[in-house]
Amino acid sequence: MKTGGDFRDNLVDLTGGGARPGDNTEKQSQRKSTPGRMNLEKWLHSSMKIEMTDGRTLVGSFVCTDRDNNIILGSCTEHLRPDEDGREEEPRVLGLAMIPGRHIVSICIDEASQPPQPSTSMYT
Amino acid sequence: MASQLLGLNYEEGLRKLELPTLAFRRSRGDQIEAYKIIIQNTMPPRPEVTYNWVNITSEFFHATKDLELGELLHDDIFGLFEAMSAIEMMDPKMDAGMMCNRGKKVLNFDQAVKAGALKLNNLTMEELVGIMDSMLACLVTWLEGHSAAQTILTCLYLHKPLSIEDRALRAFSIQTLKLIAIINNIVHSAGVFEEEDFQPALYGYGVCAEVTEVRAGGMMREVEEELQRAVKATRNKQGEAWDPKMQKQHEDAVALFSRIRFMRLFYAALAAIMRREPVSIPEAERCLASCTELVCIMQNTIGRGLRPKQPKDEEGNKVDYPVIMGFEPLVNQRLLPPTFPRYTRLRTRKEAMHYLEEMVTRLRHITKITHCLTFHSALEFIEHFSESRPCVLSRSLAQVLYLGGDKLWGGQGMAEALREAARGFICPPALLSKAPVMNNTQAKEYVDSFFTRCVRPFEQLIQTCGHNRARQRDKVAHLLEEYAMLQDEADKVDAFLHNVLLKSDQPRPHLAYLGTWVLYHTLRLMIKYLLTGFTLELYAVHEYHYVYWYLYEFLYVWLVSALSRADAMLLEQDGYDTNKTGKSGRSSKNRNRNKKRHRPYGKEITYNQALQHLCGGYYKAMLGLREAGKVKLPLQEFDSEQVRYEHRFLPFSVVMTPPPVHYDQFLSMTDLSNFPQPVSPATLYHDARNHFFKARTLLETIHTPNTEVQQLLKVVKTNFVVMKLLEGGHKADDPTRPQFDFTTHPCFPIIKI
Repeated sequence: MKTGGDFRDNLVDLTGGGARPGDNTEKQSQRKSTPGRMNLEKWLHSSMKIEMTDGRTLVGSFVCTDRDNNIILGSCTEHLRPDEDGREEEPRVLGLAMIPGRHIVSICIDEASQPPQPSTSMYT
Repeated sequence: MASQLLGLNYEEGLRKLELPTLAFRRSRGDQIEAYKIIIQNTMPPRPEVTYNWVNITSEFFHATKDLELGELLHDDIFGLFEAMSAIEMMDPKMDAGMMCNRGKKVLNFDQAVKAGALKLNNLTMEELVGIMDSMLACLVTWLEGHSAAQTILTCLYLHKPLSIEDRALRAFSIQTLKLIAIINNIVHSAGVFEEEDFQPALYGYGVCAEVTEVRAGGMMREVEEELQRAVKATRNKQGEAWDPKMQKQHEDAVALFSRIRFMRLFYAALAAIMRREPVSIPEAERCLASCTELVCIMQNTIGRGLRPKQPKDEEGNKVDYPVIMGFEPLVNQRLLPPTFPRYTRLRTRKEAMHYLEEMVTRLRHITKITHCLTFHSALEFIEHFSESRPCVLSRSLAQVLYLGGDKLWGGQGMAEALREAARGFICPPALLSKAPVMNNTQAKEYVDSFFTRCVRPFEQLIQTCGHNRARQRDKVAHLLEEYAMLQDEADKVDAFLHNVLLKSDQPRPHLAYLGTWVLYHTLRLMIKYLLTGFTLELYAVHEYHYVYWYLYEFLYVWLVSALSRADAMLLEQDGYDTNKTGKSGRSSKNRNRNKKRHRPYGKEITYNQALQHLCGGYYKAMLGLREAGKVKLPLQEFDSEQVRYEHRFLPFSVVMTPPPVHYDQFLSMTDLSNFPQPVSPATLYHDARNHFFKARTLLETIHTPNTEVQQLLKVVKTNFVVMKLLEGGHKADDPTRPQFDFTTHPCFPIIKI
């Protein structure tokens, strides 16, 4: 849709991709090189499991985060804590979900999973 | 069976069993096997997802410290825009799944039974009546456009009705599921609902297919008879004091009986209407008549049902409406789409009963559409019905009943009905029985294909009237495109028939017959489009003058002229008929009929002329008020009148007849400096007064005025007086703005100063 494009044009890209006035390349390269960033970039598109403060678990592919540990998972599903008798309910499909950092109890990453090739449709 | 086959040979045996030969069966089996193999090979094996989770919590938290405040880490194709479309977890406004995880555990049917929270047997009368009333309240809330998952399907009994042991509750539950299914079916097949009207999703909850419709009815009837016996047995005996215990039993039995019977008859009525047979309509009418009586009893016995306890204050949960046994508001919460959670306020039992009562009345009304024998009368019926803002079920049922499958009610095809409608409207010579022009194969073909072409737009016309009032306006705008094309076609067919007829033995002109008929419908749509703007309160006061001007100067004038033309043509046709019969003995009878048929559209013409003058009155009044500075005008630089004008009349731009009137035309036609005499507000009020007066005179000539005419009379009389006051300078210096009171009529306000 056209409106989406227009909207995006007005956004300020904070990640340093856009050429903002006053932005220097030195800062950008310095940004990319820190070990924390490298780690986070390595995890991008991997399957991630997040446990929330209310006991629910969300599984999806890690697509975005920020300084406050707010995490966005794509193609996300919600799993409830299994019953006392071990029965688990069907997961609920959520799509794109943002988990505020303050509600995160634990984060797991799937070591075996190969990050799939990013495609435009994976976030919906 | 097998013994009968003993004496037969192989071929005869197959025929008897209606089996194909072994060779065929082998080949078919091979094909199925081959298909399985191919599909298995080409389809990727479903990956069994196994994760190898590694906890990285602290590592992750540490890594994000490297990011700057406000910086997002993501790849190239993911941006802030995508990030903003994510739903936020743990936000009560966005996270539908959050609800179920709070406080007490949400139990499903089996869990509730196990926990002893759900009785399957030995329910008290109080409980039964209470549960049934709650179900009805849920049903009504669903019918008002809420999700089934948050209303009727919150009743656990409906999840597994066959496990219920209590016979009354089991029958009632099964019947309720059947009712939900038939309502869904009706609304679906009519297709006149929008997302705000109706939520058809039933989330896989079945209709209880294990029990047939007939069996479900039978179960209800058995319970009903049993209750009826109980009612009779506990009746007060004459001359004896009524044992209070007996009296309570009696009243409970009556309460339960009325609910069971209502449910059965209501379902039977819907099913009968859906059969669309001549005998089924009186049957439905009988059922609905009993339903009306039963609702009264139900209303009086609401108090006998178990009532929910008042919710405790500390549970500030919005969706936690008061519940009784058998209802679990959050049981389907996880079935809802992953958008923000919607809260559903359930109707109270009293409201629900009232709704049911009115719905039954509406359904009784719509069965009368079967009395409409012509297309025009059916259209009028549905249009009129729509004005009462009916519910989605009754709207849909009216559509299904009239339009139905491929034949209209009464067994006519749409094309045939339209041909009759056109004949009745203006009597085109080509449509007369034994019209000589029909011997011309090409002419016949043209006429036939024209009416086939009419089917879709006219079906849509009926359907449009079935939609909710707000959506009708949009639909009318689209429909106008169809009618513009149809108009073009009608003119071509008319021209062709004209040429053929002039060359025939009895030369007769055939000008603008079908064209006028289509034009009539186009004009009515245009008027409807403008007037619904008033009912939906879309126009600002400073827009009134051009809307009323358009109606006064063009649309009603065109409509009156189209009707007058049809009128003249019908009279002319009568003349032809009389001439043909000549001096035979029937001529006097014919003359009598002519007298009776004098000006067939007289009433409609007068009515529309009155409306034309009414609009003229408003137009002049608005001009006067504008001149006197009594209308708040928007600032030109922020709100251009031209843009508004063009937007208001945008759908008319596709219509060729009447041609659209552009803004500059409007300006030049209404420029006050063009008027012969100098114009003051007083002269404009004077003109307005004259218009209102004419409208009044015309309306008063209508015999047996209906309620609308009476309302209009009240409006014109009041406005006449108001204009007279304004003309006399009353409150001329008062800067307060006039009020427009639409309570008497939704489109034509009473002006108040």
